[in-house]
Amino acid sequence: MSDLALLQDVIGEPKLIDWNWLKDNFWEYIVPAFQGHIFLSSISIAIALVIALPVGILCARYRKAYPPVTVVTGILYSIPSLALFAILVAAGVNVGPTPVIIALVAYSLLILIRNTVAGIDAVPPETIDAARGMGLTSRQILFRVELPLALPIIVAGIRIATVTIIGIATIGAYIHGGGLGQLIFDGINRQFPTMIIAGAVLATALAIFADVVLLGLERYLRPWARARRA
Amino acid sequence: MIEFRHVSKTYAGSDRPVVNDLSFEVLDGEICVLVGPSGCGKTTSMRMVNRLIEITEGEILIDGEPNTSMSGTQLRRKIGYAIQQIGLFPHRTIADNIGTVPNLLGWEKGRIRERVNDLLDLVGLSPDEYRDRYPAELSGGQQQRVGVARALAADPPIMLMDEPFGAVDPITRERLQDEFLHIQEDIKKTIVFVTHDIDEAIKMGDKIAILKQGGVLAQYDTPQTILSRPNSEFVSSFVGGDRLLKRLSLTRVSELDLGPANGGTDGLPRISDGLTVRDALSELMGSGQSKAVVEKDGEKKLLTFQDIEALTSSGAMGGGKRSA
Repeated sequence: MSDLALLQDVIGEPKLIDWNWLKDNFWEYIVPAFQGHIFLSSISIAIALVIALPVGILCARYRKAYPPVTVVTGILYSIPSLALFAILVAAGVNVGPTPVIIALVAYSLLILIRNTVAGIDAVPPETIDAARGMGLTSRQILFRVELPLALPIIVAGIRIATVTIIGIATIGAYIHGGGLGQLIFDGINRQFPTMIIAGAVLATALAIFADVVLLGLERYLRPWARARRA
Repeated sequence: MIEFRHVSKTYAGSDRPVVNDLSFEVLDGEICVLVGPSGCGKTTSMRMVNRLIEITEGEILIDGEPNTSMSGTQLRRKIGYAIQQIGLFPHRTIADNIGTVPNLLGWEKGRIRERVNDLLDLVGLSPDEYRDRYPAELSGGQQQRVGVARALAADPPIMLMDEPFGAVDPITRERLQDEFLHIQEDIKKTIVFVTHDIDEAIKMGDKIAILKQGGVLAQYDTPQTILSRPNSEFVSSFVGGDRLLKRLSLTRVSELDLGPANGGTDGLPRISDGLTVRDALSELMGSGQSKAVVEKDGEKKLLTFQDIEALTSSGAMGGGKRSA
């Protein structure tokens, strides 16, 4: 039986949402899956940031490094996620959260690096000139001028990457990465729509929540722009 | 004092210097204006003083010490820096912007706060109203005031100003120039001032260095001498055909030695003694009369075309620009 037919079977069930099942399995099943999903997404974004920020700063400084970095991260970004999970497992990474996190980090790099470079590029050259002319060192210019001014654009990148990753992470359950994908896959296997809907709704809600929080952060980091509008 | 000694700058990969064997001195408390057509190396020359651009040959001495005797960043913290595009930090408040260098120098918070308030007052912006605003909330003229205040923040003896009033409309520009000259009377900084505008050079400069293409010094002298005795075809054409009128703008009516007005002054136009002689001449001609009344220390004096003519033929014109 094809997956599609299976899905139709599942959705064809008379009872879409079994509230009793939700109640009974809330603490030992749904909550851990939700927490697992948050863990997968946030640890991936954190690791990706630790890589992308320095690489982005270097690319902004040494322009020649930027095209090769874009090519490599661009290729990573374009590999289908299911294939990437499979490749990692085939390459000897044990199934579980590790290959999922590696793949999610790989997907985030392109967006995060590109926004870091764009953010630094957007700093007005005369602001840098004035900073140099007043005797700030290159390090002070980076940390006190360039990064604070680039931060809203970097956070905008984090926002896009986070929403993308929360979606892709559901597929990670296929290689036992845990998270809300587990609910969805189990629901398909058991032909039990309540689990699929619970997983999908929570994953979507998490993505929207992260989007709104990061949008707020983006605004908060730009008080000077708020003041202009006021 | 700033001394340029045979300073040249040639960029790598080029065989033609942009600044060529430049030598002159800027005396303490004077404004030296570097002026010339674009490509004459005036901004490059200024930026070599605080080593934003490094010299290829020669040296620049500051109070007798080569400017290479300390690190570039240390040097720059001791020299005020104001540029046309201002370059305020958009993410910092006005107070933080002005406090940049004192903060780098490790001043205490209270001292920085006090200094910022004083400087805002000095440039005519109320501290209470402007301290906590962001640059984007200010007009162009206000931003340039903040730019000048920021350059003055650590009270550096030397300032570099690259068209610091260039980004505003002509009326605001004139006001900022007047205010700055007024401030300079008190603070007496040693200033290297770059402009492409000869009128601004004449107005602001105690000395003017006219540079021509290739970074060669064409003439270095007081505005009066440059206007009355340009040393070359290049300088006289750069200064312009109206240099006689420009000389008149260096003197104010109050500085003229005028005769008393006797009797019938009723139909005559009144002229303020704060005007430059150039503006007074313009008013006089516009009035259709041959003389006008100037009130000076409560006394009525008579200004005639002869007084103005006498001024242009005497060599003693415009000596007291700053004391006006």
